[in-house]
Amino acid sequence: MTTAQERSDLLNKIGLDAQNKAALGAVLGTGRIGQATERADGRMTATIRIQPDEIAWDPSILVMPHGGDLELELLNDDLNTHCALLPSNGDRKFIWLVNHSRGRATLNLDGPGYYWFSSPTGNDEGRGLTGAIVVLGDVPPEARLDRPDQPRP
Amino acid sequence: MTVEYVDAGEAIDQGMLSGKTGTAPAVVSGVTYERILEASARPENWITYYGAYNGQRYSPLDQINTENVKRIGPAWMFQAGTSGMIAGASTYAFEAAPIVVDGVMYLSGWDGWLWALDARTGQEFWRYKHAVPYDVSLCCGNVNRGVAVAKGKVFMVTGNAHLLALDATNGKKVWDRTYGDVRAGESATVAPLVVKNMVIVGSSGGEFGVRGHLDAFDVDSGEHVWRCYTVPKPGEPGSETWPSDGEAWARGGANCWVTGTFDPDTNLLYVGTGNPAPDFDGAVREGDNLFTDSIIAVDVDAGQIRWHYQCTPHDVWDYDSIGECILFESAGRKLLGHFDKNGYFFVVDRTNGQLVQITPFVDRIDWGAITRDGQVTPRRYPDKEGDPVHFWPGPAGAKEWTHAAYSPKTELFYVPVQDVGATATRRRREFKESIPYWGAGVQVDAEDMTGSISAFDASGEERWRWRNEVPMCASVLATGGDLVFAGEPTGEFNALDARTGELLWQFQCGSGHHSNPTTYMVEGRQYIAVPVGWGGWTEGFLPGMLGAGHGSALIVFALPE
Repeated sequence: MTTAQERSDLLNKIGLDAQNKAALGAVLGTGRIGQATERADGRMTATIRIQPDEIAWDPSILVMPHGGDLELELLNDDLNTHCALLPSNGDRKFIWLVNHSRGRATLNLDGPGYYWFSSPTGNDEGRGLTGAIVVLGDVPPEARLDRPDQPRP
Repeated sequence: MTVEYVDAGEAIDQGMLSGKTGTAPAVVSGVTYERILEASARPENWITYYGAYNGQRYSPLDQINTENVKRIGPAWMFQAGTSGMIAGASTYAFEAAPIVVDGVMYLSGWDGWLWALDARTGQEFWRYKHAVPYDVSLCCGNVNRGVAVAKGKVFMVTGNAHLLALDATNGKKVWDRTYGDVRAGESATVAPLVVKNMVIVGSSGGEFGVRGHLDAFDVDSGEHVWRCYTVPKPGEPGSETWPSDGEAWARGGANCWVTGTFDPDTNLLYVGTGNPAPDFDGAVREGDNLFTDSIIAVDVDAGQIRWHYQCTPHDVWDYDSIGECILFESAGRKLLGHFDKNGYFFVVDRTNGQLVQITPFVDRIDWGAITRDGQVTPRRYPDKEGDPVHFWPGPAGAKEWTHAAYSPKTELFYVPVQDVGATATRRRREFKESIPYWGAGVQVDAEDMTGSISAFDASGEERWRWRNEVPMCASVLATGGDLVFAGEPTGEFNALDARTGELLWQFQCGSGHHSNPTTYMVEGRQYIAVPVGWGGWTEGFLPGMLGAGHGSALIVFALPE
C-alpha cells in the first residue's frame, strides 16, 4: 500500500503519468497542476502547453480562483497535430493546433466546480489530452439557502 | 535557432462548425402573458410546458385521428448525440417537452444544451451550450425538462442552478441569475413557467438535504421578485410539523422540481413538492413534515402558500408529490387532479384544497392505505436500523414525474403506470452538506413488475387499461383526434384509442421513452414531436432495463404529404 505523500513518486515509478509505460497512455489526472493569474480587472489568464510526445496538457489541472472570464494561451510544442475543445458558457470553444502552434481562447465559466477539456481527435482524449479546469469560490449570497451554516465533509 | 510558432488564432464557437443557420424567425417577440392564457385556442403551437396553464397535456388538433393514425410516419429527426466527459455521463437523456411557436421549436437537452429548430424540417437555427460542472450533484441524471418562452426570450435552467434568459432569435444570453447553491447539493432540472411578467422556477436537490424553494424573476430584467420556501422556518405556519429542536427543517427537502400549473381566476400557482430528507429515515424528523409531498397553492403575486394538501404525511418511501396538478372543471366545480407517487389519484377543489375524491390507480400498494376521506395509515416502512423492508410502489412511485394527460373531450385522465416495488434498509447517517442524505440502502426490484396506460374518469373509476410487460415511464399526450400517445421503455411509440385503449399504431424508435411528446401544426400539417432516449433515474423506475442502450433523438411524425 502507498500513502498520499508517496503519490507523485509512485506515479513516476510505475509509469502512470507517461506514454506507453504502465498503461498505454497517461492516466488522466496524473499531470501537473497550475493556477490562473488574476488581473486587476478580475479577468484571469493562463497558459496550457502540450509538451513533445507527452500527449497531455501541461498543466492538466488548471485552477481559477473564481468564476468569470479566462484568457487562455494554448501552445502545441508537440511534433503532432492536436486540437482543443474547451468549456465556456454559450458554446464550447474549438481550436485546431497544428505542430508548433500557438492559439488563444476566451472562456466564461461561472463555477464553482470543475470542467473537462480535451483534444477531440483520434483518441487524444484517452491517451492523456483530457484536462480539467477547476473553478473555486461560492455561489452569490442571494442564491444560498436561508438556513444556519451546515456541516460539510 | 528559435522557430516562430504557427499562429492558430482564436478558438471559435464549436457550433460554427455545424450546419446551423444562426438565426431563427422572431416568433417569440409576440408571446405575451395574454397569449399564453389563450394557448388552447391556438393549438398550432405548444407554447408552454404542458401546452397550456391547465396542465392537461391535451391538444385539440385532430388532423391525425383514430381513422388515419396508422398512416403516420417520421417526417424528420434531430440527433443530438453527446461528446466529451459530461456530468452523469451514464444517465443523460431527453426529458424535455418541445416548445413550438409559429413554426420554430425550442428543445432543451442534457448538460446545458438548448436548440432552436425549424419545426417543419428539423433544420437547426441556433444552439446554446451552458458549461455545467462535471462534479455537480445530480440525484437522478443529467436531464432538463424544457424551456419557457415569452417576450422574445427563451428561459432555461442549468444543472448548476442558473436561470438563463436567451434571445429567441439567436441564443445569445440576455440575463443570467443563480438561484441555487451547488455547494449545498442544489441543482436545477425544471422547465420554467412564465406567469404575468414573471418566470417561475423550482429547485432540485431533495436527496441532499436542502431546503426546497420556488423563485420568481422578472421576465424583462431578471430581477428577483420572490422566493417561496417549501419548508417553514421555526415559527412559520407548518413549522409545528417538524421537531422543535435541531435543524431537521433546514434539511427538509420539499423541492419543486417539476413545473406547476396556474389558474388566472384563483390567481394560484399549483405545484407539487418533493420528498422530505432524509428520504427513508423518519425518526430524525418526527411529524408530518410540511410542506413535503404536498400540493401547494401559491399566490402568484405574493409568492406565499395559500393552501396545501399533503398526499403522504411523514413520508419514509420517497413519495414526492411533484406530479402534475391537472386543472379541470366538473359539475361546475373548479377541480385539480393529481396522480401521486404513492399510488393514489387525488381530486381536490382547487379553490380551497378540499378533498373531493381519492382512489388507487395501481394494483399493488402495501406501504399503507388512504381511506376515501383521506386518512393515511402507514403499514410497511423502514423503521428499524438494518432491517430490510419491501414495499409497493417503489421510490420512483406508481407514476414518476412523467405526466398524465386529460382530454376535456372524453373527460378522461390517461396515466402512465409503474407497478414495481423496492426494498429499503434504514441506515442512519450524519448530515453533511452536499453528501447524499437518504438514511437507507435502497434497491428497486428488477423483476416482478408491470405497467399500463390507464384511463380514469374524475370520480376515480377506471374506464380502460392498456397493459404492458414493464412499467410505463414517459409522459402521455392526448389529442382532439381521440388519440393517446405513449412511449414504452423498450422503444415503441404507441397511439391508443382515447375511448377504448385499443392500440392503433406503433413505431419502434430504437431507444426507450422517458420524456414529453408534444404536438403542433405548421402550414396546415400536424406533427407529433417525440424526444427519445433511455436514461435518467433508470435504477429508480426500471432497473430491470438499466442495461438498455441510450439514445438522443427527437423524432417527429406526421401524415404523408
